[in-house]
Amino acid sequence: MIEDWDGDDESEAGRFLPLYILVNGRTTPRNSSLDLATQVIALAADATRLEPEYLQILNRCGNWISIAEIGAYLHIPLTIVKVMVDVLLEQGYLDSGSPAQQRVVDPALLGAVLAGLERL
Amino acid sequence: MKRTSVKIVVAGGFGTGKTTLVGSVSEIAPLTTEELLTEAGVGVDDVTGVESKTTTTVALDFGRITISPDVVLYLFGTPGQDRFWFMWDELAQGAIGAIVLVDTRRLDSSFPAVDYFERRGIPFVAAVNRFFGECPYTEEEIRGALELGADVPLVWLDARDRASSKLALVSLVRHAMARLPVARAH
Ligand SMILES: Nc1nc2c(ncn2[C@@H]2O[C@H](COP(=O)(O)OP(=O)(O)OP(=O)(O)O)[C@@H](O)[C@H]2O)c(=O)[nH]1
Ligand SMILES: [Mg+2]
Repeated sequence: MIEDWDGDDESEAGRFLPLYILVNGRTTPRNSSLDLATQVIALAADATRLEPEYLQILNRCGNWISIAEIGAYLHIPLTIVKVMVDVLLEQGYLDSGSPAQQRVVDPALLGAVLAGLERL
Repeated sequence: MKRTSVKIVVAGGFGTGKTTLVGSVSEIAPLTTEELLTEAGVGVDDVTGVESKTTTTVALDFGRITISPDVVLYLFGTPGQDRFWFMWDELAQGAIGAIVLVDTRRLDSSFPAVDYFERRGIPFVAAVNRFFGECPYTEEEIRGALELGADVPLVWLDARDRASSKLALVSLVRHAMARLPVARAH
Protein backbone atom coordinates (compact mmCIF):
# COMPACT_ATOMS: atom_id res chain seq x y z
CA MET A 1 0.00 0.00 0.00
CA ILE A 2 1.28 3.40 -0.87
CA GLU A 3 0.71 4.68 2.70
CA ASP A 4 3.04 2.03 4.02
CA TRP A 5 5.90 2.91 1.72
CA ASP A 6 8.87 3.83 3.90
CA GLY A 7 10.11 6.57 1.62
CA ASP A 8 13.42 4.95 0.69
CA ASP A 9 14.53 6.02 -2.71
CA GLU A 10 15.32 2.86 -4.60
CA SER A 11 15.70 4.46 -7.97
CA GLU A 12 19.50 4.23 -7.78
CA ALA A 13 19.53 0.49 -7.22
CA GLY A 14 16.86 0.10 -9.87
CA ARG A 15 19.04 1.86 -12.36
CA PHE A 16 22.10 -0.23 -11.66
CA LEU A 17 20.82 -3.74 -11.29
CA PRO A 18 19.82 -4.65 -14.84
CA LEU A 19 23.30 -3.76 -16.01
CA TYR A 20 24.87 -6.24 -13.62
CA ILE A 21 22.47 -8.99 -14.59
CA LEU A 22 23.33 -8.26 -18.16
CA VAL A 23 27.01 -8.92 -17.70
CA ASN A 24 26.40 -12.11 -15.73
CA GLY A 25 27.89 -10.70 -12.62
CA ARG A 26 31.16 -9.94 -14.29
CA THR A 27 32.30 -6.50 -13.32
CA THR A 28 35.94 -6.37 -14.32
CA PRO A 29 37.11 -7.14 -17.80
CA ARG A 30 39.16 -10.31 -18.06
CA ASN A 31 41.29 -8.40 -20.48
CA SER A 32 43.13 -5.65 -18.64
CA SER A 33 44.55 -4.23 -21.85
CA LEU A 34 41.22 -2.47 -22.44
CA ASP A 35 41.46 1.24 -21.90
CA LEU A 36 38.78 3.84 -22.40
CA ALA A 37 40.51 4.89 -25.63
CA THR A 38 40.99 1.33 -26.94
CA GLN A 39 39.67 0.91 -30.47
CA VAL A 40 37.25 -1.85 -31.46
CA ILE A 41 35.51 -2.86 -34.68
CA ALA A 42 32.78 -5.35 -35.55
CA LEU A 43 33.79 -8.60 -37.21
CA ALA A 44 31.61 -10.38 -39.71
CA ALA A 45 29.69 -12.74 -37.44
CA ASP A 46 26.11 -13.90 -37.09
CA ALA A 47 24.75 -11.62 -34.39
CA THR A 48 21.14 -12.76 -34.51
CA ARG A 49 21.39 -14.50 -31.14
CA LEU A 50 22.96 -11.59 -29.32
CA GLU A 51 20.98 -9.91 -26.56
CA PRO A 52 19.75 -6.45 -27.57
CA GLU A 53 22.11 -4.67 -25.16
CA TYR A 54 25.09 -6.33 -26.81
CA LEU A 55 23.65 -5.83 -30.25
CA GLN A 56 23.36 -2.09 -29.73
CA ILE A 57 27.07 -1.98 -28.89
CA LEU A 58 27.94 -4.09 -31.91
CA ASN A 59 25.84 -1.82 -34.12
CA ARG A 60 28.03 1.12 -33.08
CA CYS A 61 31.17 -0.68 -34.16
CA GLY A 62 30.80 -0.66 -37.95
CA ASN A 63 33.87 1.56 -38.00
CA TRP A 64 36.68 1.76 -35.47
CA ILE A 65 35.39 3.31 -32.28
CA SER A 66 36.68 3.74 -28.74
CA ILE A 67 35.16 2.34 -25.57
CA ALA A 68 34.65 5.91 -24.33
CA GLU A 69 32.65 6.81 -27.45
CA ILE A 70 30.45 3.72 -27.13
CA GLY A 71 29.74 4.70 -23.52
CA ALA A 72 28.96 8.28 -24.49
CA TYR A 73 26.62 7.41 -27.37
CA LEU A 74 24.77 4.65 -25.56
CA HIS A 75 24.83 6.25 -22.09
CA ILE A 76 26.42 3.22 -20.49
CA PRO A 77 28.99 3.69 -17.70
CA LEU A 78 32.57 2.96 -18.74
CA THR A 79 33.11 0.02 -16.42
CA ILE A 80 30.11 -1.71 -17.91
CA VAL A 81 31.03 -0.92 -21.51
CA LYS A 82 34.46 -2.42 -20.85
CA VAL A 83 33.03 -5.66 -19.53
CA MET A 84 30.51 -5.94 -22.36
CA VAL A 85 33.11 -5.17 -25.03
CA ASP A 86 35.34 -7.76 -23.44
CA VAL A 87 32.58 -10.36 -23.75
CA LEU A 88 32.08 -9.43 -27.42
CA LEU A 89 35.84 -9.70 -28.06
CA GLU A 90 35.97 -13.07 -26.37
CA GLN A 91 33.05 -14.37 -28.44
CA GLY A 92 34.53 -13.15 -31.71
CA TYR A 93 32.05 -10.40 -32.49
CA LEU A 94 34.64 -7.64 -32.15
CA ASP A 95 38.29 -7.12 -32.91
CA SER A 96 40.45 -4.63 -31.06
CA GLY A 97 43.30 -2.37 -32.06
CA SER A 98 46.61 -2.00 -30.23
CA PRO A 99 46.33 -2.82 -26.53
CA ALA A 100 46.60 -0.02 -24.00
CA GLN A 101 50.16 0.73 -22.97
CA GLN A 102 51.61 1.80 -19.66
CA ARG A 103 53.62 4.54 -21.33
CA VAL A 104 53.93 5.83 -24.88
CA VAL A 105 57.60 5.37 -25.64
CA ASP A 106 57.50 4.83 -29.38
CA PRO A 107 59.24 7.80 -31.04
CA ALA A 108 57.64 6.99 -34.39
CA LEU A 109 54.15 7.12 -32.87
CA LEU A 110 54.87 10.41 -31.11
CA GLY A 111 56.33 11.78 -34.32
CA ALA A 112 53.17 10.84 -36.19
CA VAL A 113 51.02 12.55 -33.57
CA LEU A 114 53.16 15.68 -33.73
CA ALA A 115 52.96 15.81 -37.52
CA GLY A 116 49.21 15.27 -37.37
CA LEU A 117 48.73 18.10 -34.89
CA GLU A 118 50.89 20.46 -36.89
CA ARG A 119 48.69 19.81 -39.92
CA LEU A 120 45.54 20.83 -38.04
CA MET B 1 50.17 -0.65 -38.30
CA LYS B 2 47.37 -1.79 -36.02
CA ARG B 3 44.67 0.76 -35.25
CA THR B 4 46.15 2.69 -32.34
CA SER B 5 44.76 5.25 -29.95
CA VAL B 6 46.73 7.79 -27.96
CA LYS B 7 45.52 10.01 -25.16
CA ILE B 8 46.27 13.46 -23.89
CA VAL B 9 44.82 14.55 -20.57
CA VAL B 10 43.50 18.08 -20.18
CA ALA B 11 43.68 18.90 -16.49
CA GLY B 12 43.54 21.91 -14.22
CA GLY B 13 41.32 23.31 -11.53
CA PHE B 14 37.60 23.82 -11.62
CA GLY B 15 36.49 26.10 -14.46
CA THR B 16 39.94 26.63 -15.95
CA GLY B 17 38.77 25.99 -19.52
CA LYS B 18 39.31 22.24 -19.95
CA THR B 19 36.11 21.54 -21.84
CA THR B 20 36.60 24.68 -23.91
CA LEU B 21 40.06 23.53 -25.01
CA VAL B 22 38.84 20.04 -25.88
CA GLY B 23 35.99 21.55 -27.91
CA SER B 24 38.18 24.00 -29.79
CA VAL B 25 40.49 21.33 -31.27
CA SER B 26 38.27 18.26 -31.40
CA GLU B 27 36.87 17.12 -34.75
CA ILE B 28 33.65 16.11 -33.01
CA ALA B 29 31.61 18.12 -30.51
CA PRO B 30 32.91 17.07 -27.08
CA LEU B 31 31.25 13.90 -25.83
CA THR B 32 30.51 13.03 -22.25
CA THR B 33 30.94 9.59 -20.84
CA GLU B 34 30.18 8.45 -17.35
CA GLU B 35 31.83 6.21 -14.86
CA LEU B 36 30.36 4.76 -11.70
CA LEU B 37 32.44 5.04 -8.60
CA THR B 38 31.77 3.74 -5.15
CA GLU B 39 32.07 6.06 -2.22
CA ALA B 40 35.47 4.58 -1.49
CA GLY B 41 36.60 6.06 -4.78
CA VAL B 42 37.32 2.81 -6.56
CA GLY B 43 35.57 1.24 -9.54
CA VAL B 44 32.48 -0.80 -8.81
CA ASP B 45 34.04 -4.19 -8.29
CA ASP B 46 31.80 -6.04 -5.91
CA VAL B 47 28.53 -7.28 -7.31
CA THR B 48 27.04 -8.44 -4.07
CA GLY B 49 27.74 -5.19 -2.32
CA VAL B 50 26.51 -2.89 -5.02
CA GLU B 51 23.10 -2.26 -3.57
CA SER B 52 24.35 -1.31 -0.14
CA LYS B 53 27.26 0.84 -1.28
CA THR B 54 26.86 4.44 -2.16
CA THR B 55 27.84 4.93 -5.74
CA THR B 56 28.40 8.15 -7.52
CA THR B 57 28.61 9.06 -11.16
CA VAL B 58 31.47 11.06 -12.56
CA ALA B 59 31.26 12.60 -16.01
CA LEU B 60 34.23 12.91 -18.37
CA ASP B 61 34.36 15.18 -21.38
CA PHE B 62 36.43 14.12 -24.31
CA GLY B 63 37.17 14.92 -27.93
CA ARG B 64 38.91 13.23 -30.84
CA ILE B 65 41.48 14.15 -33.48
CA THR B 66 42.16 11.69 -36.29
CA ILE B 67 45.91 11.78 -36.84
CA SER B 68 46.10 9.23 -39.65
CA PRO B 69 44.05 6.25 -40.83
CA ASP B 70 45.77 4.22 -38.10
CA VAL B 71 46.16 6.67 -35.24
CA VAL B 72 43.47 8.54 -33.30
CA LEU B 73 44.17 11.00 -30.54
CA TYR B 74 41.70 11.38 -27.68
CA LEU B 75 41.66 14.41 -25.45
CA PHE B 76 40.19 13.74 -22.04
CA GLY B 77 39.24 16.50 -19.64
CA THR B 78 39.67 15.56 -16.00
CA PRO B 79 36.71 15.83 -13.67
CA GLY B 80 36.91 19.12 -11.81
CA GLN B 81 36.72 17.83 -8.26
CA ASP B 82 39.72 16.35 -6.53
CA ARG B 83 37.79 13.49 -5.01
CA PHE B 84 37.82 11.70 -8.35
CA TRP B 85 41.53 10.84 -8.36
CA PHE B 86 40.66 7.31 -9.38
CA MET B 87 39.55 8.62 -12.74
CA TRP B 88 42.74 10.59 -13.13
CA ASP B 89 44.71 7.36 -12.85
CA GLU B 90 42.62 5.77 -15.55
CA LEU B 91 43.01 8.79 -17.83
CA ALA B 92 46.73 9.23 -17.21
CA GLN B 93 47.69 5.60 -17.72
CA GLY B 94 49.35 5.30 -21.10
CA ALA B 95 48.75 8.96 -21.94
CA ILE B 96 51.29 10.94 -23.94
CA GLY B 97 51.03 13.54 -21.22
CA ALA B 98 48.88 16.35 -19.91
CA ILE B 99 48.06 19.96 -20.46
CA VAL B 100 47.49 21.64 -17.11
CA LEU B 101 45.29 24.67 -17.62
CA VAL B 102 45.94 27.57 -15.33
CA ASP B 103 43.54 30.41 -14.55
CA THR B 104 45.54 33.37 -13.26
CA ARG B 105 42.64 34.46 -11.06
CA ARG B 106 43.04 31.22 -9.12
CA LEU B 107 46.57 29.99 -9.64
CA ASP B 108 46.42 27.60 -6.71
CA SER B 109 43.45 25.71 -8.16
CA SER B 110 45.80 24.10 -10.70
CA PHE B 111 48.44 23.12 -8.17
CA PRO B 112 46.96 19.66 -7.39
CA ALA B 113 47.13 18.83 -11.12
CA VAL B 114 50.75 19.97 -11.40
CA ASP B 115 51.60 17.96 -8.33
CA TYR B 116 49.80 14.88 -9.65
CA PHE B 117 51.71 14.71 -12.95
CA GLU B 118 55.00 15.78 -11.39
CA ARG B 119 54.89 12.95 -8.84
CA ARG B 120 54.14 10.34 -11.46
CA GLY B 121 56.75 11.56 -13.91
CA ILE B 122 54.10 12.14 -16.58
CA PRO B 123 55.11 14.81 -19.12
CA PHE B 124 52.98 17.94 -18.90
CA VAL B 125 52.93 21.56 -19.96
CA ALA B 126 51.35 24.40 -18.04
CA ALA B 127 48.99 26.40 -20.24
CA VAL B 128 47.93 29.74 -18.88
CA ASN B 129 44.43 30.53 -20.12
CA ARG B 130 44.20 34.22 -20.86
CA PHE B 131 40.57 34.65 -19.96
CA PHE B 132 40.54 38.38 -20.32
CA GLY B 133 43.68 38.99 -22.32
CA GLU B 134 45.52 40.58 -19.42
CA CYS B 135 47.73 38.56 -17.16
CA PRO B 136 48.67 40.07 -13.82
CA TYR B 137 51.68 37.78 -13.35
CA THR B 138 54.98 37.23 -15.07
CA GLU B 139 56.02 33.79 -16.22
CA GLU B 140 58.46 33.63 -13.30
CA GLU B 141 55.71 34.36 -10.80
CA ILE B 142 53.47 31.67 -12.26
CA ARG B 143 56.30 29.15 -12.31
CA GLY B 144 57.05 29.96 -8.70
CA ALA B 145 53.45 29.70 -7.54
CA LEU B 146 52.95 26.34 -9.25
CA GLU B 147 56.43 25.07 -8.38
CA LEU B 148 57.05 24.19 -12.01
CA GLY B 149 60.29 22.43 -12.80
CA ALA B 150 62.66 24.38 -15.07
CA ASP B 151 62.11 21.89 -17.90
CA VAL B 152 58.30 22.14 -17.82
CA PRO B 153 57.11 24.24 -20.76
CA LEU B 154 54.76 27.11 -20.00
CA VAL B 155 52.55 28.38 -22.80
CA TRP B 156 49.95 31.15 -22.96
CA LEU B 157 46.68 30.34 -24.64
CA ASP B 158 43.10 31.22 -25.30
CA ALA B 159 41.28 27.91 -24.94
CA ARG B 160 38.51 29.15 -27.23
CA ASP B 161 40.96 29.55 -30.07
CA ARG B 162 41.74 26.47 -32.13
CA ALA B 163 45.19 27.60 -33.28
CA SER B 164 46.15 28.55 -29.75
CA SER B 165 44.97 25.23 -28.29
CA LYS B 166 46.75 23.38 -31.07
CA LEU B 167 50.04 25.06 -30.14
CA ALA B 168 49.64 23.89 -26.56
CA LEU B 169 49.16 20.31 -27.80
CA VAL B 170 52.19 20.59 -30.08
CA SER B 171 54.25 21.91 -27.20
CA LEU B 172 53.23 18.93 -25.06
CA VAL B 173 54.05 16.32 -27.70
CA ARG B 174 57.46 17.92 -28.35
CA HIS B 175 58.11 17.92 -24.62
CA ALA B 176 57.11 14.25 -24.34
CA MET B 177 59.43 13.41 -27.24
CA ALA B 178 62.32 15.30 -25.68
CA ARG B 179 61.88 13.25 -22.53
CA LEU B 180 62.11 9.88 -24.28
CA PRO B 181 65.20 7.89 -23.47
CA VAL B 182 67.77 8.65 -26.17
CA ALA B 183 67.59 5.94 -28.81
CA ARG B 184 70.81 3.99 -29.22
CA ALA B 185 72.38 3.84 -32.65
CA HIS B 186 72.43 0.27 -33.93
N1 LIG C 1 37.15 34.87 -21.76
C1 LIG C 1 37.50 33.59 -21.78
N2 LIG C 1 36.63 32.68 -21.31
C2 LIG C 1 36.98 31.38 -21.32
C3 LIG C 1 38.21 30.93 -21.85
N3 LIG C 1 38.28 29.59 -21.71
C4 LIG C 1 37.13 29.22 -21.13
N4 LIG C 1 36.33 30.28 -20.91
C5 LIG C 1 35.01 30.27 -20.26
O1 LIG C 1 35.20 29.87 -18.91
C6 LIG C 1 34.15 29.03 -18.46
C7 LIG C 1 34.69 27.71 -17.96
O2 LIG C 1 35.24 27.00 -19.06
P1 LIG C 1 35.14 25.41 -19.17
O3 LIG C 1 35.81 25.03 -20.44
O4 LIG C 1 33.76 24.94 -18.95
O5 LIG C 1 36.02 25.00 -17.93
P2 LIG C 1 36.26 23.55 -17.35
O6 LIG C 1 37.67 23.54 -16.88
O7 LIG C 1 35.85 22.51 -18.30
O8 LIG C 1 35.27 23.58 -16.10
P3 LIG C 1 34.85 22.34 -15.15
O9 LIG C 1 34.70 21.13 -16.02
O10 LIG C 1 33.56 22.81 -14.57
O11 LIG C 1 35.94 22.23 -14.14
C8 LIG C 1 33.22 28.88 -19.66
O12 LIG C 1 32.16 29.79 -19.48
C9 LIG C 1 34.08 29.25 -20.84
O13 LIG C 1 33.31 29.80 -21.89
C10 LIG C 1 39.12 31.92 -22.37
O14 LIG C 1 40.22 31.63 -22.82
N5 LIG C 1 38.70 33.22 -22.32
MG1 LIG D 1 34.51 20.87 -18.02
